[in-house]
Amino acid sequence: MWESQVARLTQKGYWLDLGLVPYTPAFAAQEQILQACMTGRFSPTIILQENWPVFTIGRSGSRANILTSAEELERRGIEVLEVNRGGDVTYHGPGQLIVSPLLYLGDVDLNANQYLHRLEDVLIELLARYDVQISKKADYPGVWLGEAKIGAVGIAVRHGYTFHGLSLNVNLDLTPFNLINPCGVSRMPVASLHQVLGRAVPMSEVKARLREILEHTFALRLQDVSWPEIQVALELVPLNSDGE
Amino acid sequence: MRYDIVVPPTADGSLAVTIASWIKEVGSPVIKGEDLVEAITEKITLYVTAPADGKLVEILVPVGEKVKVDDVIGFVEGV
Repeated sequence: MWESQVARLTQKGYWLDLGLVPYTPAFAAQEQILQACMTGRFSPTIILQENWPVFTIGRSGSRANILTSAEELERRGIEVLEVNRGGDVTYHGPGQLIVSPLLYLGDVDLNANQYLHRLEDVLIELLARYDVQISKKADYPGVWLGEAKIGAVGIAVRHGYTFHGLSLNVNLDLTPFNLINPCGVSRMPVASLHQVLGRAVPMSEVKARLREILEHTFALRLQDVSWPEIQVALELVPLNSDGE
Repeated sequence: MRYDIVVPPTADGSLAVTIASWIKEVGSPVIKGEDLVEAITEKITLYVTAPADGKLVEILVPVGEKVKVDDVIGFVEGV
């Protein structure tokens, strides 16, 4: 009886793991799925990805918070992109898990600000499963291990539908953060789960634990889907490497 | 008919958001549901969309100013 009641309250959703991909086409895919969700052609979707090295500058951000030259960035193979999430400059690279829930805020009964903080709670619960205690800081969105930021949140909302989301430094090489003022803050320390635990953490394990937490946090029954399956279902035109 | 462009209730009622950009200029044709404005907090980007098909006729709140949920920030003249 109880299970059937839960089943009625939960919503079907999709779990799309894009793997290690360049930022631009992955974001273009996110925009296409968001559009389908907004027009009722697709169910809520959780998109996971790791990106090739890239500094992204959010809507509150400035290129002045990138502290190195274009030549040095090219030498290191780090791309720079201006993106439409909230926030300032941050680094994404292999070993950082980026999670973008495409949800209707009305379905989860949260406003945008509450949802942003719920994503922080998701990260806190996830790291608690590794016996790592992290916390929020008043006026500094994200999750913190002492003074070091280990996970970030930054969302966008269109017609009540969310995109962008959260990131967690799992096995990320943290040295590129030395080339920026992360989130606009000079010399802000950053941390990774690898650094804290003293061992590499299987990304597949992190994803599995995260999936459970997201399912119960947002009352979703998630089913795996691939990007080609979505393209077929939505009759999308394949994207090129520039996301066009 | 004139339609209000209103900050949507997806933001917390007490949350002030800053107008980051007007995506359309006054006089531009707009389609209902199209993005007109990006409003931001430190970590949230909210898109304010066109309330009707028509033309953007007036911008009440310029870039850089803060607004709250339900504030009227401009008008669309419907077709």
